[in-house]
Amino acid sequence: MGIYSAGIYPAVLVVSALVVVLGGVTMAWIRAHRVLEWAVTALWSATGVQAIAVVVLLLSGNDAGLVLTIGYLLATIVILPLMGIGRLGAPDAAAADPDPNRPVLQPDQIARVDGGAAVIVGIAAAVLAWRIAVILGAA
Amino acid sequence: MNAIGRILLIAAYAVLGLAATGRSVVQITTKLADAPLPYLVSGASALLYVLIAVALWRGWRRVAIVGTAVELVGVLVVGTLGYAAPELWPDETVWTGYGSAYGWVPLALPVIALVVLLRGGRRAPDDAVSAPTA
Repeated sequence: MGIYSAGIYPAVLVVSALVVVLGGVTMAWIRAHRVLEWAVTALWSATGVQAIAVVVLLLSGNDAGLVLTIGYLLATIVILPLMGIGRLGAPDAAAADPDPNRPVLQPDQIARVDGGAAVIVGIAAAVLAWRIAVILGAA
Repeated sequence: MNAIGRILLIAAYAVLGLAATGRSVVQITTKLADAPLPYLVSGASALLYVLIAVALWRGWRRVAIVGTAVELVGVLVVGTLGYAAPELWPDETVWTGYGSAYGWVPLALPVIALVVLLRGGRRAPDDAVSAPTA
């Protein structure tokens, strides 16, 4: 529990905050998109480490509610792919869809969408990490 | 409606739909008898969020407008009833306190979505939310 509450949980919050900030910066200045991609990778990694730690804690006898904890953990993982939602508007991806209403994005628009999605997902990831920590008794 | 706004609204509704769905599934499957009205309202809100996300993605503009309008009315009615008739609400819903447990996003999001959808409708009076830009 010590490693989780003192290291992993704060790290997830820090990386989430970084993603939120870089997402906002990218929306205003698209050249930050490359840095945002690094932060997104870091959030994926931090979430993976968090998932492993939570499962280990649950298996080691933590009396947290199993359904809620696993539910929040799955939600944390499920929202991460939204950070790449801009790719769905790339011309080649849109061309493969017969839907005439599918948006087609230019590279700068993809960067801005990724930035906005990063803000949304970063906030959600931090809230979910906080909820998991509360359930586990680490926050 | 510009493509960036549309996709970000889809992402926001997807996240909110996931949160509301998870919460309501747990509430309805484990303790529905304790507070049927709040938990069914949570379930309805979850379905609405998913429907709006799908409508935005598929370009169903009228569905998206009606859905967000219903959502806004729901947040206002449930939020007000939470203060005016607290005995009806033994537990919280997604819309309790005008969505305060979710950072008031349930109140702000339909307002933003309606503004974007209606402005987009005036610019492009076809039925689609947005036409391809390339």
